[in-house]
This record gives sequence, structure tokens and C-alpha cells, in this order.
Amino acid sequence: MAVDIIVPPLSQTMDSVLLVEWLKAVGDEVVKGEPLFVIETDKAHLEIEAPASGILQEVLAQAGSEVAVRSTIGVIASADEARPVSPRPEPAPEAARPASRAATAARHPAATGPGGQLLPAERQQRIFASPRARRLAQQEGVPLDEVQATGPQQMIVERDIRAYLAQRKAVPKATPVARRVAEAAGLDLATLAPLPAARITRADVEAALAAREAAAPAGVQWVDLSPTRRTIACRMAESQQAAAEVTLTRQADATELVRLREQILAELSEEDTRPTYTDFLVLIVARQLKRHPHLNAITDGERIGLSEEVHVAVAVDTERGLMAPVLRNADKKGLLQLARERAELVRRALDGIITPEELSGGTFTITNLGSLGVDAFTPIINPPQAAILGVGRICPAPAVHEGQLCIRQLMHLSLTFDHRVVDGAPAARFLGDVVQWIEKPHLIWL
Amino acid sequence: MARMSIAEALRQAIREEMRRDERVFCIGEDIGIEGGFGGAFTVTLGLSDEFGHERILDTPVSETAIAGVAIGAALAGMRPIADVQYGDFLFCMMDQLANQAAKLRYMSGGQVSVPLVMRAPVGATARGAQHAQSLEAFFCHIPGLKVVAPATAYDAKGLLKSAVRDDNPVIVFEHKLLYGSKGPRSERGALSPIGEVPEEEYLVPIGQGIVRREGKDVTIVAKLLMMYRALAAADILAEQGIEAEVIDPRTLVPLDKELILASVRKTGRLVIAEEDNLTGGWAAEIAAIVADEAFIWLDAPIKRVSAPDVPPPFAPLLEREYVPNEEKIVAAVLSLF
Repeated sequence: MAVDIIVPPLSQTMDSVLLVEWLKAVGDEVVKGEPLFVIETDKAHLEIEAPASGILQEVLAQAGSEVAVRSTIGVIASADEARPVSPRPEPAPEAARPASRAATAARHPAATGPGGQLLPAERQQRIFASPRARRLAQQEGVPLDEVQATGPQQMIVERDIRAYLAQRKAVPKATPVARRVAEAAGLDLATLAPLPAARITRADVEAALAAREAAAPAGVQWVDLSPTRRTIACRMAESQQAAAEVTLTRQADATELVRLREQILAELSEEDTRPTYTDFLVLIVARQLKRHPHLNAITDGERIGLSEEVHVAVAVDTERGLMAPVLRNADKKGLLQLARERAELVRRALDGIITPEELSGGTFTITNLGSLGVDAFTPIINPPQAAILGVGRICPAPAVHEGQLCIRQLMHLSLTFDHRVVDGAPAARFLGDVVQWIEKPHLIWL
Repeated sequence: MARMSIAEALRQAIREEMRRDERVFCIGEDIGIEGGFGGAFTVTLGLSDEFGHERILDTPVSETAIAGVAIGAALAGMRPIADVQYGDFLFCMMDQLANQAAKLRYMSGGQVSVPLVMRAPVGATARGAQHAQSLEAFFCHIPGLKVVAPATAYDAKGLLKSAVRDDNPVIVFEHKLLYGSKGPRSERGALSPIGEVPEEEYLVPIGQGIVRREGKDVTIVAKLLMMYRALAAADILAEQGIEAEVIDPRTLVPLDKELILASVRKTGRLVIAEEDNLTGGWAAEIAAIVADEAFIWLDAPIKRVSAPDVPPPFAPLLEREYVPNEEKIVAAVLSLF
């Protein structure tokens, strides 16, 4: 039984890797587990082990070439079936690719190809698929010999791969018994279907159930992730995995800001929305972002997008979970307008009537846990943004002010930034400028 | 915005360029003669009243002479707009166009240039094989020539003005069925592509194609008359749930390749419609480019809808069979699904 040599998916971010060298020549004997070839990923050179023992029968990619992840770059034949190896270095013809193509022969019983012409013997096992379909199949790890062809000239086309993927997602292959056991236990088979071709057996299901039992402490009630929870989970995990997050913390003396707010509140009429410290921070941060464009940025991992406009998202705790409605062009708005708009967005978020538009397009996020008594924390960036400011509580504490030990209103700010986008010093300068305006709020008007 | 036919738009372009630049003049057969049509298709009608017969220059029936005078004048610093009554007659000029006009700038190391505009009507219109060919591919094949093929009044004016200002020889292919369906020289079966043309000065840059209709399922590339047939085909296909994207390259050399490639990357299918004969045609070149540069995005073979490899027939019934129509384009598209 011949075994295909597959390029393993070693990196989340790369579709192809460089084949650095073959450690064996065609015709050499290989032993399962010994190094067979070397690839270069974005991080390192890696030796890849032989997937089986036998003879390296053919090599489909030469050293120095780019090879797609999950593609077949060679074949190991068992010692007894290995053909005498020809001295030609180029890939062997299709007919020499045994076993894995056998299923295809059945699909072309008359051994005819597109257009119905009789195929030469060495082409009879070939799968006919459009380049676009092959590309997608390779990307998604779809074995072409399991796909039903519906395209022109009995060719597999893109829609066939998509149909296969939809079906694979919907119904993982499983034995009927496994399906019944899983259904009874409320286990989603998709969660334990790592291999598209493998059939899930009863033993797999029981193992998964046992693992679930073992992992969960007694008295646990399982609840499926709600759509909001799922979004939060994805975004937070994505943020943690992709971004290089660094958190800076700094203390600010908010005494003057507290005084200013009280003075302002005293002047407000009944109809005015009473600005909170969050509103003051939105105002200060938005205007500082205009001066620190690298903090007012988004990234897709390949590029950095500096935003001309400042749209500040504000984290809101709702029954359905965390939401971050966006205050558009916050740098251009006054305190009362910000307070009014934020109050309205918060109300809509709490009532569950906020729209996706109102939750998207932010360029920076502020999250305030001060009202819950938190001093400092490490907020997680709201992707694709480059930074987030965590606001702690303001509380009276002993401090040195103008050379005197006295009681001041102190707070902590926690700025998490994506080090891929911006370095520590500019982030620290931004944080310093924010602190300066908190401590000397009259500077805002300069 | 003024609404006008392609013939009127071309006339306006010539008038504006002649007013703008004294070096611009027209040369051709019967283009300014008293009581004449203003060329074979009325494009120069009335221009001799304003510019006189020295700048609207009528020649004997000798295409060789037209080409010789125009190319010589261009070499000497003038900016001639020459025309032939039927594109087919360009073959008479072939040595001067292919061996002289196209090559002199290159061979002189840029010391001379040939800012020539050569207008040529193409397309089958019941006038027989010597007055009906679509010659675009011949001229696309010659390095040193630019080739444009406007299909709307807006493009006709904008591209002709760009051609006059270009320092290289530019062949402007115009389709006989697109000049307009009214007037003394309108051809049987002519379309009436009356289009909006801005009052103010504008140019259509040479080398920019345009998406005439957006779609996600198949890309149809077509120019001149075939562009309209492709749009009609797209309407029929839409009824069957297939959204065709129709691309009009407008300029054939230099080709806006990326526009076509981007569309194919989106749709995965390509049909090229042209009125020229199949073998060695312009459609074949587009197909080759896409097969080469977007192969991996293709979900079906590339189809050409071209005229068969026979001379354009005289008999109207045969001509109708010869020139590709929307039904043939629809059939080619459907074969890809």
C-alpha cells in the first residue's frame, strides 16, 4: 500500500511553505518516523518525518520550490510493490500514483474523459476538476475523489466543492450507532470530526463523552454559546492570538477633573444628560487620538490603517454580554453631546435594539470598570483596533501634591496596545498626554 | 450634457481638436467635398465650412496616398486624422502602417514620432466580404501601434481626442452599425446608441477598460457591436438566474488586462465575443492571457464566440448567421455551467 507524502499544516498563517531539501533520494529506503524532508515556515526550518516505511518511490516537488500546505509532494511505496525506479528525476506519470486514485476509476467506468473521448491508459484514473475547484479543494483539505462532479464535461467545479463542504459541516461521517449515542447525549458530532474522511465510531463518541464528564466538575450545567457570547469569544480569542498585546498602567490625579465635573453638574438643567467620568474620558481620549494617529489605527495583520476619523467604542455590560457601541467622530463633539449620545447608545444596547452598524467601525475602545471598584486591569484589544484604554475607579487616597502629603482623588489607567502596530514609547506618550489632561483639565481648551 | 450619436460625437471631437491645435487636419476620400456625405459615414460633414479644404483634405481614391501623406505629415510635425471609407482598405496601406508608422519612432531611437490617427469603420453590414471585415487583431499584433475601439458616443469623443494628442500612431476602429440609425448614410440594422456627452472638455484615457454591467457568475468581454450583444445576452441570462459581468475594453492596445483578470478572479468563467474570424483572433489573445495569468481562478473552459473562418458573406441570411448574436453568446455562457 503506497502512502502519499503530505505537507503538514504547521502554521496558521501560511498556505504554502518552502521545500528546502529532500533528505532521501528517489529509490532510497525510508523508515517511518525518520526525517524525510526539510521545510521552511515563517518561523523555522523543520525536519518532517516519513509517514510510512518503504521505498521513496517518487518525488513531485523539487527542493527549493514552494509547496502548498496539505499537498502531496511524494509517494512512499511498500518494499514489495515498489517499481524499479527509473533514473528520470521528473514526477512519474499519473498511473504510477496507486491506491489513492482507485476510487476515481469507479467514477469514470467507461474510462472516458471530458467530451467523452477514450482516455489513454495512464490517464484513466485522473480526476477532472477545474483549476478553481482544485484551488479551493486544496485550501479546504477536500479529497477530490469524494466529490460529486456536476460541472461542464463532468468536471468537478467550485460549486461541487462548496456543496461538499456544506455537507461535511452539516453531517460529519459517523456510524449509525455513533450518531444515536451522540444524539442521546446531546453531543455535536462536528466537534469531534477532525478528519473529513474518517468515520466517527461509537468508541469515539464514548471517549468524547467520557472526556467531557471527566473535565467538568460535578453539578455543571452546559449552555450553548449565544450568538453574542460567540462573537465575544471569537473576537477576544482572535485578539489574544493575533495581536502582540502590551499593557501600560499609569496613575492619574483626577482631583481637578472631579472638581470640574461637579462644577459642570451644578450648572446643568433638568433636561441635560449628566456627563459621567466615562464621557469626560471619551472627550479627552478622542481629542488626544487626533494628536496620536498611531493609536487611532486598525490592522489586518498585513497592513496598518491610520484612521482620519476618530470613532470611540465604549464597552457596555449587558444581559446578553459585552457590547461596544461606537461614538462617531467623538473628537468633534462636545461633552454634553457625547454624554447624550452615549446614554442613548447604552440604552439601546441594554434594551437589545442596538444595530450592527452602531456596534462597528470603532477606531479605539474605552472600557470603564471603575464603577465596579476595579483599580487596574489588562483590557483586551477589540480587533481590528490597535489599542484600548481601561479605566479604573477614582477614589480618595494619600498622595504627594505640590510637596505636601494630602488626600487626592486618584485613578489608574490601563492602556493595552498592539505592539505590531505601535511601539511602547509612542503609546506611553499618548497615555501621558491623556493623564496630563485628566490632571489639568483646563488644558483641553487650548 | 448633450445627447448625440457616435458620428456626431466623433465630429465634435475633430472640431474641438482642430480648433485647439492648428496642426490637426483631416485627410480622406470625399470627406469635405461639396454635396457629399462628409466621408462614408457623415463624420466630417460640414467641417470644411469652418476649416476650409486645406484642413479637410479630399484625396483621389488612393488609400496608399492617404497613408503616405498622413504619415509624412505626422513625421513633419503635423497631427493628421486620416480615414478610410471601409476598414478593409487599410490593407492597401499595410506597408506604410506596419513597416513605417509603427516602427519609425523605435528605429530612430525616439528622434521622430508619428502622431497619426487612422480612423477605420469595421463590421459586416450587407456590403460583401471586402467592406465588412473586423480587422482589430491584425493591428493589435503590430508593436508600435495603439488601437482603440469606442462603442459609445462618450468614449468615441473622449478616445478620439486622446488619440489626436497621443504621439504614437493610433488606429481608431469604429463600427458601422454604431454610427447612428438616422441620416443619409445609416446602415440597415444599425443600432441607435445615442449617448450623453458632456458639454465641457474631457478625455477618455487610452488604456482603460470599463465594466458595462456587473455580475458574479461569468465575465463576458466584448467590444464595439458585440458589447451591445453581450449586454442583451446578459439580460437573457439574468432571467435564468445567471449574472453576467460585461467588460468593454475600449482600448485594445495597450489592454486594460487587470480589469479582465480581476473580473475572472471573481466570476471564474470567461466568454469573449467578437465579430472577427475565430482563428488567430483578438478573442484568442484575451483567452491566452487569462489562461496564463488567472488559470487557477477558472471554473470552466474559456469560450470564444467569434465569426466562423469564412469571408463575411454578402447574402443577408448568411451574414446573420456569420455575425455572432446574443443567442450564441447565451449558448456559450450556458455551456459553462
